[in-house]
Amino acid sequence: MKAHAQLNETPENPTENPQDTAKRHVASDAIRTVTSGTFNTLVLEGEGPMAVEFMSYGCEHCRAIEPVLQQVAVKVKSKENIFRVNVAIEQELAGSYGIQGTPTFVMFLNGREVGRDEGPHPTVSSVMKVVTQPFEI
Amino acid sequence: MQTQSKPILLFNDECGVCRRIAHWVQKSAQSTSGETSIIERPIGSDPEALRALNPDLDIWDAYATIHVLMPDGSMKLGGEAVAEVLRNLPNTKWFTWSFAVSMFGFRPFQMILNVAYAILADVRPLFGCESCGTPPFWVKPIWWTIKRVKAIFGISIHPSPTPHFTPLSTTGR
Repeated sequence: MKAHAQLNETPENPTENPQDTAKRHVASDAIRTVTSGTFNTLVLEGEGPMAVEFMSYGCEHCRAIEPVLQQVAVKVKSKENIFRVNVAIEQELAGSYGIQGTPTFVMFLNGREVGRDEGPHPTVSSVMKVVTQPFEI
Repeated sequence: MQTQSKPILLFNDECGVCRRIAHWVQKSAQSTSGETSIIERPIGSDPEALRALNPDLDIWDAYATIHVLMPDGSMKLGGEAVAEVLRNLPNTKWFTWSFAVSMFGFRPFQMILNVAYAILADVRPLFGCESCGTPPFWVKPIWWTIKRVKAIFGISIHPSPTPHFTPLSTTGR
């Protein structure tokens, strides 16, 4: 399956302050938060490629990657869903997937884990690669 | 928006340094009658709960810098928030008049406090902030030296598999 063959990657805007970007995205969050109650329905039983970020709001690295992930989520929106799981609340869910730290990305296709990555570099190109590559043959 | 009659100090409960400072503030804010002059609240992990306190309060921002929510609905951040906390503590309020002193349009004592806060925020990883991630560039040499010295004395270091990853065992969950 080549789920992301048509994705055109554009470089990050070097003039944009990441904090401004993060604030701009507060109103329109492109990433849905899933809980243990909705994980099965939205991620495991959902259609198409899914990427789940296991994160924590207190984690500095998660904050650094947030504006980047928002940009990526907008770019892949038509082909892939990106979710977040707050490990500070969903400790059992994080434990069931063997999450060792944050941010950890786990990619799912048809309810099956097809890839994961821990602590990617907070750039659009790195994160795009992490959330799309497992779905490419 | 919830309203309070006292300022609310939001603190990072995933940071050891912040917890220790918050504990000191809590002790200092209590009068002999047991009343407290400032309310403390951990930032936590629920963005909606924070927005209920103030619609402009973003959880990422709350973790990035110290916030004090004022009873009038405004927010004070960084060094201004520290000044507000000190103004509300019985033991420190006597000198807080200095933060309002203005010279040629500048508030020199407030500026010193702002810089002191910025330095403290940067060096938190050296003193036990589990969730602060990699220290800024100017702290890195000190951080690296401390790690090496700890290794010499056999104090275990849990290296992160990548530089952009916070192991869960050290996030203070």
